[in-house]
Amino acid sequence: MSPDELLGRLARTLRSEVGPAVANDYARTQAFLAAVVLEKLAGQLACEAAHLEARAADWTSLVRDLGASLAAPDAATGEPPVPGALADSVAALEQGGPEGMQAGLGRVVEALYRTRGSLGDREFEKLLARVRQTLRADLDRRLEYAR
Amino acid sequence: MGKPGSTASASGSEAGRTSDHVTAIREYLARRIEAATALELENVERIAVGWSHETWLFDARWSQAGTPRHLGLCLRRDPGNALLRDLSDLGTQFRVLECLEGTDVPAPKPYWYEPDPGVLGGPFVVMEKVPGHCPNPWGRAGRRFYAEAARRGTLPRRFTDALAALHNLDWRSRGLEFLGVPEAGTSEFARREVAKWRGLAERSGHPWEPVLADLLGWLEANAPVTERLVLAHGAYRTGNLLIHEDRISAMLDWELEVIGDPMYDVAYVLSDLNREGSELLSNLVPRNEFVRRYESETGIHIDEEACRYYQLLYAMRSCAFWMSASGLYAEGRSEDVRLARTAWSVPVVLERAARELGY
Repeated sequence: MSPDELLGRLARTLRSEVGPAVANDYARTQAFLAAVVLEKLAGQLACEAAHLEARAADWTSLVRDLGASLAAPDAATGEPPVPGALADSVAALEQGGPEGMQAGLGRVVEALYRTRGSLGDREFEKLLARVRQTLRADLDRRLEYAR
Repeated sequence: MGKPGSTASASGSEAGRTSDHVTAIREYLARRIEAATALELENVERIAVGWSHETWLFDARWSQAGTPRHLGLCLRRDPGNALLRDLSDLGTQFRVLECLEGTDVPAPKPYWYEPDPGVLGGPFVVMEKVPGHCPNPWGRAGRRFYAEAARRGTLPRRFTDALAALHNLDWRSRGLEFLGVPEAGTSEFARREVAKWRGLAERSGHPWEPVLADLLGWLEANAPVTERLVLAHGAYRTGNLLIHEDRISAMLDWELEVIGDPMYDVAYVLSDLNREGSELLSNLVPRNEFVRRYESETGIHIDEEACRYYQLLYAMRSCAFWMSASGLYAEGRSEDVRLARTAWSVPVVLERAARELGY
């Protein structure tokens, strides 16, 4: 039996056997909520391998796309268009690997808002849209077991 | 931000503590009530209202110079690991309730605030037990109650009138400036709220969420200007209101009140977060009726754009709240399994925010 199947069965026992047999309101609610937590964990475990693979693929393409934006000189000035703080956050995202993507993306988003003035609205919107594409995909995966 | 609605009698492991608390409360009241003799507590029950403080209801009976006396009381205690503990303390709530006495805002009369944790293991307030009940809008019975009240029509009007009374309150003359007054005509109020809830999320111990970072960036960049300042409740909806015979006998949960933008409360009322499966605001009030009556009673125009901003702020607030809740459980500071479950509420509320932001 896989760990997610085991957790799912424990959840069913808590929900259908243990919870209804508990007279005390508070303890019964705790039993039902423990069943909910086990169901969520079971769902999360069942998806884990596929999600890790998808996250790694997302990380690779995001790092590639952001790296290309960093490298492309500004058409008008010939200067690198990306301020230092943003370049640093993208470098940290790359160094953190797919495992560190959550924290790394947070830093990239914060750097984007912080450097919006020097980026200009158009570049800011373009980069943010690209980051949001990855954020959306990650949210969709998490919702498979969170809802 | 949901709340449990069931009565939570103490669990087996809490039975001894409950008995100790009842003894301590009785001794405390005997010291506080002048010339009280033979003081006894009856009908003691601990109820589950909200996530932050323990709430106890009871009747005190005593004799005063040979005359029997009776008082229905409600005690709220800080258990030491309460959610929002950093953002709202019972001393502040007590002062707010004192300021509201004698106004049109339905609120319980406050009697005592005890900051000494030596009495009950944490600070607490004692206030009037107001008649009424608080149907849980998330439960089947509660939804049925509000649907029937909506058909009768009186309670929806009272709901709007109570909010109007709050926003019409002359908070300066009532001495509420101690809550902090943002500068009118600026975006200081919204920025303060964003900073307050950002702090809660940052302290939560929950892994940082990049969608939350995006939401915070948007909120900081788009903070609206507040022209008129009111006393805002901060969580005005059914489930936080005590209802007695189709009227609102008390607003509850004075934990998030603030001097700020009236749209802060209005946005919460208009939010679909608070009307699961119902067309009615807060499962009770038709939107058009609320807008018309609120504007007429307050003279305040409802600013839809500001409301959209505050609804995103509420999404951020919910996210910070759930992060804080799951963090309390993860760190072993609470054994309440409800808190463990909230870790999976975080992506749900962030998804809603992401859709609002356009992705």
